[in-house]
Amino acid sequence: MTRPPVPLVVTGLGVVCAEGAGREAAAAALARGEAPLAEVDRSGGYHLADGARFAALAAHHGTARWVPPMAARRMCPSSRMAVAAARMAVEEAGLEPGSPELDGAAVVVATAYGSAQVTEQLLHQILLESPETVSPALFTESVANAPAAQVALVCRARGANITVTQRQAGPPIALGLAMTELAAGRCRRVIVGAVDEVNPLLHAVLDRFRALARSTGDAPELARPFDRRRDGFVAGEGATLLVLEGADEAHARGAKALARLELTASAFDPSAPRAGWGRDPVSLAGALRRRLERAGIALDSFGAVVTGTCGSPSGDRLEALLLRSLWGEARLPPLLAPKAVLGENGAALLAAAVLAVEGAAFGSPVGFAQPDPELGVEPHGGGPTSSAPRVLVSSPAVGGAASWAVLGRP
Amino acid sequence: MTGPRVVVTGLGAVTPFGWGMLPLRAGLRMGVTALAPTRQLDTSRHRTRIAGEVPPAPPRAGAGVAGWPHLSRAEQFAIAAAREACGQAELDPAAGEVAVLFGGSTGGMLECEHYVARLLAVEPGRPRLAMVASQQISSPGDAVARALGARGPVATVSSACASGGLALGAALDAIRSGEVTAALAGGADELCHLTYAGFNSLRSVDERPCRPFRADRAGLSIGEGAGVLVLEALERAVARGAQPLAELLGWGASCDAHHMTAPHPEGIGAAAAISAALADAGLEPDAVAFVNAHGTGTPHNDSAEARALTSVFGGRSGPLPVTATKAAVGHLLGSSGAIEAVATVLALLDGAVQPTPGEEPADPDLGVDLVVGHPRPLAGSGVGLSTSFAFGGANAALVLASWGERP
Repeated sequence: MTRPPVPLVVTGLGVVCAEGAGREAAAAALARGEAPLAEVDRSGGYHLADGARFAALAAHHGTARWVPPMAARRMCPSSRMAVAAARMAVEEAGLEPGSPELDGAAVVVATAYGSAQVTEQLLHQILLESPETVSPALFTESVANAPAAQVALVCRARGANITVTQRQAGPPIALGLAMTELAAGRCRRVIVGAVDEVNPLLHAVLDRFRALARSTGDAPELARPFDRRRDGFVAGEGATLLVLEGADEAHARGAKALARLELTASAFDPSAPRAGWGRDPVSLAGALRRRLERAGIALDSFGAVVTGTCGSPSGDRLEALLLRSLWGEARLPPLLAPKAVLGENGAALLAAAVLAVEGAAFGSPVGFAQPDPELGVEPHGGGPTSSAPRVLVSSPAVGGAASWAVLGRP
Repeated sequence: MTGPRVVVTGLGAVTPFGWGMLPLRAGLRMGVTALAPTRQLDTSRHRTRIAGEVPPAPPRAGAGVAGWPHLSRAEQFAIAAAREACGQAELDPAAGEVAVLFGGSTGGMLECEHYVARLLAVEPGRPRLAMVASQQISSPGDAVARALGARGPVATVSSACASGGLALGAALDAIRSGEVTAALAGGADELCHLTYAGFNSLRSVDERPCRPFRADRAGLSIGEGAGVLVLEALERAVARGAQPLAELLGWGASCDAHHMTAPHPEGIGAAAAISAALADAGLEPDAVAFVNAHGTGTPHNDSAEARALTSVFGGRSGPLPVTATKAAVGHLLGSSGAIEAVATVLALLDGAVQPTPGEEPADPDLGVDLVVGHPRPLAGSGVGLSTSFAFGGANAALVLASWGERP
């Protein structure tokens, strides 16, 4: 579904990020252009001696209000964060978990790596102890759809329950599937979003791929979006869940519309290797251009682009050249870089998108200083973005997929 | 949901019966099981020994695919099945915007496990990054798009055992909405220690080949493989001279929102998904000629599924034959919905419901008309229902019909 036949609006936003729990925390970090980083536990012995040390960790930030400790004990970090974010979103939307309004709701969640911590624990049990020692409770939470299932359990959401695992491209794809559920009339509301977690094994493996930023001294690594000196991303974790519903439904029950979801699109670049970025930004830009033209959405209606730039040498290059190819000679709108602030995770992208539509201020990412002449683009330098009514979310992925979403003012 | 009619024009499979549709079709027709002791996994410290393991690839399986020896098993299964399906459909995914919509659970987890074992020095050898490059669940779908040059939307659903069914549903939506005119829809998964040990820890794996809907059923049998269907808008298929094999009439999904692993005992969520699929197809329960059931062989799952079927179909006049493909090839986890959709199309093409391996009749307490022994000729309409129910309560159902016999 590229474009809904009826207006769809976001009525709730819940966020867990490295800055803390709540949309205010995400907004504060994005306004400053930085979020606190924490040292990743390296005691497992997976890390390279001179490897990356920091990540934007979020899993234990202030979720107790939203997920009681007794319930949290049975959840992996992704499930905890997703449930907390879902409850925030539902509350902001003026809904009650377990209420008739949520009974038939669908849940659509994107995750790049799934339940990484639980997977690591299970591999430890299998490899270092014995397969017989594997914990059934851990296995239950190891499936990629555990967060979506836990959200459905908490909210009593009995509509379709879908988990998307398409690396960085997952969040806009999740929005697209949510849009289809609503447009097809299969449900009246969708709880949709993204969640990702970082654990030592995942962090170490990403670093061994040379995907992570490196630091030369004791200072934490820095994500340098579109910067000439960029050398990788800072891993991040968090959850962003939205309540998406028809504008008429929202209006009828007096809910405030935060943003309007207008379009989603995706394409694939077969030139991308298994663990690398594609090299054909022009084809991807062409696919997006056709979708926008078909929907009658003009490029000059975008007030900002929420990019997936994270400081990856090849990833940022692909994204920059894609956007430049799309806009051609025209002036690009401000390019936001939430993953360079909140760490590389899909939740950062979605939170920034809604906040951008709402007119939130975005600071310059602290890691950016030196423009890369090859790319010819820079992240937003701080202050207000354009007053144009729409925001483009752009999310090319490792492995070849790319996806986009268009959000606008309600 | 309105939109163009969507037909199946190609099928591809890699299963424990072998590489390709021919061994699968023969195995299913004969009602035999491919479940056997696994060589891929060290089961010496497990309670169980068997699995549905794909035999070694034929010599030229990877011909023309860059880096084939370095791909994960799941990626190899996916590419082989997709190439077979495209071959039958005479479809070039590089021409036009063709989507690849996959369901899966494991990605390249087996290779990742070896990588971590080397990292932890419990297995000899250097941990090479190539071993973990395919770990992600999206890897099989991505590998298909990469190998075949597809440039349309590519997405992987990982909602445990409902993934394949959900992926096919998403493909149907994408074609109906006009986003794409064709899609490779399916799934691929591989055996790995994580799932083998995990399901064993839940005591939900049978030491013998699984016996869905039988009174002495004692758990599932894990399998591996891939199933891919070429779906396309009827008009496009006709225009390019492709032969429709079946029609995908509708799909439905739901969530139990009841428990992380146990199904709702009354099958309420499963029944909701089936009813939604029938409504999407515009059919009444009487129109369904047979069910390719999720049928895992676990006591609770089969019981819940039987109750769901009774809830939806209990009032119909005639019998409702049920078959369970998992007894033949094992539980292919996230890709089970895909391979079972393939099996459903085969039954429609053959005009007969495949028998569920084993001679024992169904558990009389379940009230299921299980097909055993020999294929049972289809009576009445050529409409089959395929169901998939998952961890976390995710449910999916697909309604497929013989080509030309739209009720």
